[in-house]
Amino acid sequence: MEKQNVVVEVEDLYKIYKVGTNKVRALNGVSFQVYEGEFCAIVGTSGSGKSTLLNMLAGLEHPTKGQIAIRGQHIETMNEKQLVTFRREHVGFIFQSFNLMGTMTTIENVALPLTFRGMPKKERLKRAERMVKLVGLEKHKKHKPNQMSGGQQQRVGMARALVLNPDIVFADEPTGNLDSVTSAEMMNLMRNVVNKHHKTLVMVTHDNQLASYADRIIHIKDGKILRIEDNKDKRKEASAVSEED
Amino acid sequence: MRFSDIIAMSAGNLWKRKVRTILTVLGVMIGTASIVVMLSLGIGLKSAMLGEIQSQGSMTDIQVYNYNIYGSGDAKQMTDETMEEFLAIEHVKSATPLLTTWITMEQGKWRTDQQLIGAPQEYLQQIPLAEGSSYPATGTNKLELLVGNGVICDFYNPSNYEYPYYDNGELADVDFINRTVFTKFESVYTTDAEGNYIEQPSRRNIFPVVGMVEGGVEDYNTYCWNVYTDLDALKKYLQDTYRGKAIPGQPTDRNGNPYRYFCYENAIVSVDDMENVEAVQAAISEMGFEATSEMEWIQSAQQEMLIVEAVLGGIGAISLFVAAIGIANTMMMSIYERTKEIGVMKVLGCSLGNIRTMFLTEAAFIGFIGGIIGLIISYVLSFVCNLVLPDLVGYGDAKISLIPVWLVLLAILFSTLIGMLAGFFPAQRATKLSPLAAIRNE
Repeated sequence: MEKQNVVVEVEDLYKIYKVGTNKVRALNGVSFQVYEGEFCAIVGTSGSGKSTLLNMLAGLEHPTKGQIAIRGQHIETMNEKQLVTFRREHVGFIFQSFNLMGTMTTIENVALPLTFRGMPKKERLKRAERMVKLVGLEKHKKHKPNQMSGGQQQRVGMARALVLNPDIVFADEPTGNLDSVTSAEMMNLMRNVVNKHHKTLVMVTHDNQLASYADRIIHIKDGKILRIEDNKDKRKEASAVSEED
Repeated sequence: MRFSDIIAMSAGNLWKRKVRTILTVLGVMIGTASIVVMLSLGIGLKSAMLGEIQSQGSMTDIQVYNYNIYGSGDAKQMTDETMEEFLAIEHVKSATPLLTTWITMEQGKWRTDQQLIGAPQEYLQQIPLAEGSSYPATGTNKLELLVGNGVICDFYNPSNYEYPYYDNGELADVDFINRTVFTKFESVYTTDAEGNYIEQPSRRNIFPVVGMVEGGVEDYNTYCWNVYTDLDALKKYLQDTYRGKAIPGQPTDRNGNPYRYFCYENAIVSVDDMENVEAVQAAISEMGFEATSEMEWIQSAQQEMLIVEAVLGGIGAISLFVAAIGIANTMMMSIYERTKEIGVMKVLGCSLGNIRTMFLTEAAFIGFIGGIIGLIISYVLSFVCNLVLPDLVGYGDAKISLIPVWLVLLAILFSTLIGMLAGFFPAQRATKLSPLAAIRNE
């Protein structure tokens, strides 16, 4: 296996919540890496700590103990202000419930993170348009979110996450609000982006079937990693089989 | 984020919640309008009052009196030298001495006792004249008289002391211009060796009346009750007529001899600006003279107006304060409603400062728009006030409600500022919301 660049490095991560007098260990010593150009899935049942893990990777929550480095930058030591700046420059995020701005059109929604960067309107719309094309929504670029289906909305969400040209994209149950057919379409789109555009993507899901689209699957339970499964070879076999059909 | 983007987003958010925005703006509008209208009433009343005062005499003039003119030998006298001293005081533009003496005027059976005032030409020239009149000339031997428009009311019949005007409302049959008026200076009294007063009656003269002060019998002005003549002519006349003797209206030394100079009972000191009147007045008082000016009662009137203005403004301020609470409430609700949206913006990398600015801008917008509409309403109300109120209050056609430019600018600035102030706490709150709100699914 060729030497790969590490994008995310997690070491001995703990998150302990205090509920009344009880201490709940949401994460109990987690260590792993995510490599560049990789589609990585974190799988676990609800309450396993997978969402907490993702929140901490994206810098939305502070860990109790441990280290998180994204491209060598330690985000566990950053304050709120630095984290926002960090996300603006390096991180894309896809939400389960899309979270598009209801007053904005597709293209404006996609351009929003660039607005936060202070990019001139002309340039950010040009970049947004390219992303809209990438996710196949040219026909809907003037539409508002409530004029589109869930699948289309999530594509907008994806374009928005990619428009920053981020080092890493986090996806939180991206198909959680979609039916199975649309989910499959979405997963294929994500696969495509990772393969063709060499993006790094970390997805959280509870669904093993969806996780099978990933290159690597991190199984998590009770705040600990059960096993890390390399799915690359299996996927190749699977696609070979499906081609034979 | 660019400021233009922040403005666009804030405006968009306000537009999305139209009804709520309009209701909040309504509050600010009423608040601004009530402050502006109330203040405009205060300002209008004040300027109407000042206008009234100005029409009655100059506000920068100080009347100086020396009531001690006949006092003992050491008494301080007001002379031409004193005028020079007045001129030396800072901010004094001119010092005009008025030489006063009493005269008796007679025509037919009618008689009146009047104060004759000898004034310099520059003083005489400012007196408004009735048609066909001219000013008393200077540099002549003959005294020419200018008669106040109310003097005719003072004539009486010496045989029975009947005042036709005051008793019956009829004017005495006196014509200053076309018929001869006999004028007499008041008698001079001296004491003889035994200490008895000896009256030395003055001669009857015919001094031509060359002019009348403008105005009807009842029209009050500063000059209506006096008779005027040229100062130098009066001095020369008195000196020539009473050579070596006591001069009527002038003090004498212990031996009953006149001084070599004239003593004035009254002088007018003009000051360059209203603001300096008080200081000059104090300086003159310091010199031992009585000094009065319109400033004293203008000041007390202004103080009263200030209280009226403060009360009126206070009433307006209360409604704007209520409006500010309205803005704060609206912004607070809006922030709770948009918790998720704010979270998403944070996840997508919108800086905390930008989020704060965005909400402050929204609040400022509400204040600004409310201020502008409030001003428009104020102009309408002010117009109506000016249409209806002057007749009721009795200020004639003076404007009772005035909205000066500074008030317009101040109102807009103030309402915007109030908006921002009301929005500050909610905006601060928005920056503290957790980005995790974006992740939660409801």
